[in-house]
Amino acid sequence: MRTTIAQYYPGDSPIHRLDARAKFVAVTALAVALFVRDSFAGLAVFAVAGAVAYVLSGVPAAWFWRAFRPLLWLVGLTFLAQILFAPAEDAFASWWIFHVSWQGLSFAAFLSLRLLVLVLIGSVLTLTTQPLALTDGLAWLGRPLRRLRVPTDELALMVTIALRFIPTLLVEVDQIMRAQRARGADFGSGGPVKRARALVPVLTPLFVLSFRRADELALAMEARCYRPGIVRTRLHPLKAGVADAVLLSVTAAVIAAGLLI
Amino acid sequence: MSAVEPETRAHGSAPVHGMSLACRDVGFSYQEAQTPIAALREVSFELAAGRSLALLGASGSGKSTLLQVVRGLDLPETGEVLLDGAVAGAAGYDGLQKQVGLVFQTPELQLFASSAREDVAFGPSRLGWSEDEVAAAVDEALDLVDLPPDRFGERHPYALSGGEQRRLALAGVLAMRPRLLLLDEPFVSLDPATRRELARILARLRAAGVTLVLATHDVDLAWALCDELLLLDHGRVAAGGAWDLGDAGRDLLAASRLREPFLVELWRRLGRDPREAPRTYAEAAEALA
Repeated sequence: MRTTIAQYYPGDSPIHRLDARAKFVAVTALAVALFVRDSFAGLAVFAVAGAVAYVLSGVPAAWFWRAFRPLLWLVGLTFLAQILFAPAEDAFASWWIFHVSWQGLSFAAFLSLRLLVLVLIGSVLTLTTQPLALTDGLAWLGRPLRRLRVPTDELALMVTIALRFIPTLLVEVDQIMRAQRARGADFGSGGPVKRARALVPVLTPLFVLSFRRADELALAMEARCYRPGIVRTRLHPLKAGVADAVLLSVTAAVIAAGLLI
Repeated sequence: MSAVEPETRAHGSAPVHGMSLACRDVGFSYQEAQTPIAALREVSFELAAGRSLALLGASGSGKSTLLQVVRGLDLPETGEVLLDGAVAGAAGYDGLQKQVGLVFQTPELQLFASSAREDVAFGPSRLGWSEDEVAAAVDEALDLVDLPPDRFGERHPYALSGGEQRRLALAGVLAMRPRLLLLDEPFVSLDPATRRELARILARLRAAGVTLVLATHDVDLAWALCDELLLLDHGRVAAGGAWDLGDAGRDLLAASRLREPFLVELWRRLGRDPREAPRTYAEAAEALA
């Protein structure tokens, strides 16, 4: 039974210890810079920065690969789409509506590499930051929006609860599927329609259970004096320190270098 | 405190030819993110056809895992599970496995159909039986769990009480006419009256000849319902076979945070031989009269 969903790798590296807000701001700024800059040289700077951050994080390559692999499809598709749908001028190979040109190839390579670097930088954030710390950080960063009556704390709480219950629901799904399989259910064979129908015995109990759980959780929260719209204090206040200032300075330097080189 | 009184009437169920079960050095571990967790280690025992076994042990001792391995939902990493003497892979083993019923913990969570009858029919209709056979099996199973089909057949499962839902889920497994029935904590979160009703149903199945394995923390119901016991401790067999009611047996149960059955303790306190303790209140009353 696999219940690790988010890719977070528990660890105590310098990158792990950084404040979630600082990491989020740094990654966002790098991502924007990555898309502003359109040269291979700039790309190389950001790639090196991402690689250094990954090495510092101490996340094992196998773990990283597991998180990274599903995204390779996306990169591959981008590459193919860019090659095949490039303009027809100076194409050296053509077939039906597809044309392959050196310009198209280089552009496709650039876009794919950019996507890879983006995934690398984003992965360092999600691999080293607990989902809960990330939502807390986002709620803090979204505070100015409260003036516009955006319920940022409530949104953050919703995300937190949703994340908290994903592993629980996965265990639940596993149990229900086993129970139905013990009664002869078959989830693995037949066409798409048959497979979808086979899921009814799983989804119905799952929904009933989820609604019941949500109802109970809401009651329990009320019983413990939760009221929406009130500023709550935190058990683990977010703490930014010197290291975070260093991170933001280094990020600024990397972005400047990436944009100017 | 609850004990089960013997039930003599056959209650409409034909005698069942129970299935024998044996485990030989069964090992299983859960592959967690970083380190595998051993749930079963070298578990061996034998249970003759028609006998009933109490599967005892603290939470996390491997009871649920053992039941799932016996049903074939998880494959043992080492050792083998023998059904009627046949090992996995032998001709007819798949068919035997389908005659093993497993009632999960809180099985009412698996109810999904819009009527009791339809839900109970889910299992048997996947066994390739004719419509008439399925209908007969459904009615028989509903009767067995005291939910008469004419009154409960068309009710919506979610409109039933907790105890009725539990019995309906049991009927869903019984309708497949299991010859070996595995139950994972069937008494959990039931009120005392419902517990007794459920225990009566299990006594009925036992009398009909179904081989039973009952994983439970309730030693009194286990004592009343089961011929033998298997005590698991951290995935290993701590005690197996006939109930050992001497001091050593009591200490073994205590090591797993379990008390000896009430009637056994009563016999001990009365200065009688705990090995001769009765199984039911009726037997106790008779012996004391």
